[in-house]
Amino acid sequence: MSGGATSRASLSILDVSNLTVRIDGQTLLSDVSLTVARGTLHAIVGPNGAGKSTLVNAILGQIRFDGRILAHWRRNGRIGYVPQSFAVDRTLPVTVADFLALTRQRRPVCFGVGRGAARRIGAMLERVGLAGFERRQLSVLSGGELRRVLLAHALDPLPELLILDEPATGLDQTASQWLEDVLLAARDRDDVTVLMVSHDHERVKRHGDRVTVLDRRVVADGAPADALA
Amino acid sequence: MTSFYAWVTGLARSGVLPADFQYPFLVRGFLCVLLLTPMLGGLSHLVVARRMAFFSAALGQAALTGVSLGLLIGEPLNSPYAGMFGFCLLATLGMVYVKRRSSLPPDTLIGVFLALSLGLGLVLLVAVTRQFNVHQVEAILFGSLLTVTDSDLLLLLAVGVVVMVLLAREYNPLLLDSLSPPLAGVEGSDSRFLDYFFAFLLALSIVVSLKIIGALLVEALVVVPAAAARNVARSARGYLVWSVAVAFVAGAGGLIVSNRFLVPTGAAVVLGASLAFFVTLIAGALGRDSLGRFLRGRRAAGIAIALAGAVLLANRMWIGALLVAAGAYFFKFGWPGARAGQTSRPGPFGPG
Repeated sequence: MSGGATSRASLSILDVSNLTVRIDGQTLLSDVSLTVARGTLHAIVGPNGAGKSTLVNAILGQIRFDGRILAHWRRNGRIGYVPQSFAVDRTLPVTVADFLALTRQRRPVCFGVGRGAARRIGAMLERVGLAGFERRQLSVLSGGELRRVLLAHALDPLPELLILDEPATGLDQTASQWLEDVLLAARDRDDVTVLMVSHDHERVKRHGDRVTVLDRRVVADGAPADALA
Repeated sequence: MTSFYAWVTGLARSGVLPADFQYPFLVRGFLCVLLLTPMLGGLSHLVVARRMAFFSAALGQAALTGVSLGLLIGEPLNSPYAGMFGFCLLATLGMVYVKRRSSLPPDTLIGVFLALSLGLGLVLLVAVTRQFNVHQVEAILFGSLLTVTDSDLLLLLAVGVVVMVLLAREYNPLLLDSLSPPLAGVEGSDSRFLDYFFAFLLALSIVVSLKIIGALLVEALVVVPAAAARNVARSARGYLVWSVAVAFVAGAGGLIVSNRFLVPTGAAVVLGASLAFFVTLIAGALGRDSLGRFLRGRRAAGIAIALAGAVLLANRMWIGALLVAAGAYFFKFGWPGARAGQTSRPGPFGPG
């Protein structure tokens, strides 16, 4: 794994330089610099309140920041994103197919899901083990099912960079293993770069190519065995 | 338009249409309902999804202030659109701008704007009533069919088409942004643009609906249909269909009640929509047991609708034929978007 990582890390997909985020006078991130190498699984770890999600939000362009974030795209430049939380209004009548069709057809989803989009959605759900869930309402899905729907959304079309914010939170052992397999397949088979916020140091040590330890600033950055020592 | 009204009133006199349509102003009102309901019904389910119900109430109040302003600057009492639209647009921009900039909760900020525009509206209304009869202003507060003109109808048609086309164009990004702004952002949507865009469409729709529904009640028609639809809809398509259907039934029923019992149109329409809300609430609750499943079943619904059509036909109201046809449709295809509740499949993430 580490040898492969060294060869993969030769070119970066994301360069973050001197990133500082201040919200309401409070400094959430200070002078953060890191490089995400193409085709690797890069983990961001750190205690609660360390600024991990803030860093993700800055990379996604959701919040204002000082510093520079540079992406080097080679393929479609698509970012797949699985957020930490996805609070669904329990009374909102939106099905899994409606949700996935929102970005996969031009026709307004309130006029129905088109045949082409429906076929594509069927294949996407099958890939994440949710075949037949098209007509389920989002609001009745369990946390794990919802996360799989979000992962299906993030992986289609195949992104160049996949960002996951604590994707394994609340998942049992089997589900975590399944998620791990999906992410490793995306990296190794599909050449997707994975940037993941995680609390699971053991898994990061096993499969991560590089780790950045954050506590409002970069505490350590390097190979998992060194950074998490 | 005169020949069209003559044709419709002729149909009413010959019994093809209900007797209420013998009056041209009611025909005009019905045309307004036909245009208003898809527009407001379509907007309403996004208003509720984007949690903008209180925002709509504030816009209704802003429209009232706009009417007073329009009258004060010399606009005709029958069509103070410049004042209404101008002030509503100003209030919309102000509310969205401050909401995006401030860390205060949106309902608190909108409450501030609501109080401001209501206070200003009352002050201006007193000034206006020195020049106009207060009963003339009442028509704008509560809605009145008698004051609706063909020009209003044409304006409603033009705005309705523009709003529906723009809404259809941006519907998917708007819904995704309502569900998860970060995900919508990653997919390339501009949250700021969507906020202003939707608020602008809402302001435009409220302004042109005002003469029918009234400034104080227009907010109800952009909230209640979607709330009622939520009780029974099972998909985005069902949500839209039910929102429009509830708005239409409330609008058409309100018109007839307003005409027969001489009550303000807006109040009658809103009462109809509220009644629809409670009916769907009960239907939604029943939907969880076997009786509800039977009532929601396509055959029961089809038979009920066709029977209602047959009753109309027996009373020589030929429009009942449409209901019979609708009943046949429901019998064959069922309620739009009602297929839900498939068996959970256990997987690595649990059975759900």
